[in-house]
Amino acid sequence: MEDIKAYIESGILELYVLGDVSHEEKLEVEAMAAKHPAIKAELEAIERSLQMYAEANAVEPAENLKGKILNSLVTNLADDRIFGVKQEDKPEAKIIPMQGDRRVTIYKYAFAACFVLLIVSVVALVNAYRQIDQSNNQIAALQSQNQKIANTVSLKDSEIGVLRDASFKMMHLAGMKKSPASALTVAWSPVNKKVWIDMATAKMPANDKDHQYQLWALVKGKPVDLGVFDADTTSKDMKEMKSVEYADAFAVTLEPRGGSPTPHLDDLMVMGK
Amino acid sequence: MAKKHKISLSEEELIRALRNREKIAAEALYDMYSASLYGVISRIVVDTAIAEDVLQDTFVKIWNSFAGYSAEKGRLFTWMVNIARNLAIDKIRSKDFKNQGKNQELENNVDFIDEQRNSVYKPELLGLKDLVDTLKPEQKSILDLVYFKGYTHVEAADELGVPLGTIKTRLRMAIVQLRKYFN
Repeated sequence: MEDIKAYIESGILELYVLGDVSHEEKLEVEAMAAKHPAIKAELEAIERSLQMYAEANAVEPAENLKGKILNSLVTNLADDRIFGVKQEDKPEAKIIPMQGDRRVTIYKYAFAACFVLLIVSVVALVNAYRQIDQSNNQIAALQSQNQKIANTVSLKDSEIGVLRDASFKMMHLAGMKKSPASALTVAWSPVNKKVWIDMATAKMPANDKDHQYQLWALVKGKPVDLGVFDADTTSKDMKEMKSVEYADAFAVTLEPRGGSPTPHLDDLMVMGK
Repeated sequence: MAKKHKISLSEEELIRALRNREKIAAEALYDMYSASLYGVISRIVVDTAIAEDVLQDTFVKIWNSFAGYSAEKGRLFTWMVNIARNLAIDKIRSKDFKNQGKNQELENNVDFIDEQRNSVYKPELLGLKDLVDTLKPEQKSILDLVYFKGYTHVEAADELGVPLGTIKTRLRMAIVQLRKYFN
């Protein structure tokens, strides 16, 4: 009994209650308390007095704290399968629809984004197509214009060639009885065997669409076809006709469109040499 | 207390309800012990927001590790107040807390808190003055260091500059005085 009293008075029990003992001391105190009711009673008295001391020094926490803390415990309940009985029916029932919802929302946004993208793409495509079409038309127009200019340049080149070439003879055909006011200039190069007529200075009455003028060369008394032309008052160009090596004279008759194998001398318009 | 309906159970009922993890146990636990536990916590952790966090942590830990409590080894409150004290000490010794510069010299806390919160003492404890008078100053200082500031008795001996044996004796005598007072 002396031992027990000394043990109690050592102060170890107070330290035990205050949690201020080593693990070995703790086991020792618990063993002693189990063995000796006096020690157990002493421990209880210490605990009770310290609890009352704490109550005497209590500080009320803020009122809103209660709800917050109880909520955190209840949340813990749910997390830690506490309300075991109720937990067992469909533990994941709430999770599945939420995931579904989220997925649907994602698809919704994804679909909307795709749709917007599609519309933007189509508009851009249509615009691009229009621009390409426009550009193609412009290119075609420019090409044809370019071709026209090239043709004109080449024609002008030929015309200049006629004027430069000393071998060309300028022959002025004068109007005949049927059309005394008519006139036509023919340039002929026996060396190059080339014949041109100058539309700029031509004075020929306008022909209808069923008839054309036909140029003839008189070769040793026989007419030779040199091709047909229309009286075009707007043209300032020279026109190349069929070639001829030798000619005594040149004449123009009005013939049915496309020309005739032999001239109708009734319709002799101009002639000269 | 007239102002609010509070749940109160006997310790045995509360322990049974806590074991069964009944919801009412959580509320009873809070109503019965939050003020006493907060009294300890708020003397160690001065910052109110942090002290409230520690109180919450304390209840969560009590709730979650209740299986670790054995009634044979002692009173429920003893087990709980040690949890609260340890969590509070962990908090003020954590790097986090120190970096915030919110720690104060421990020895100033009790007086500081008591000055600040005299008004919240329970009205039925008007005899507190008597209680304080019951303890000799050297008894009160050692008891408060260990009980309310979380000092170990070795640290307290160091702090007060008295031998370990003396600390143990004074601590025991202080508690003996309390027992006499409360009986």
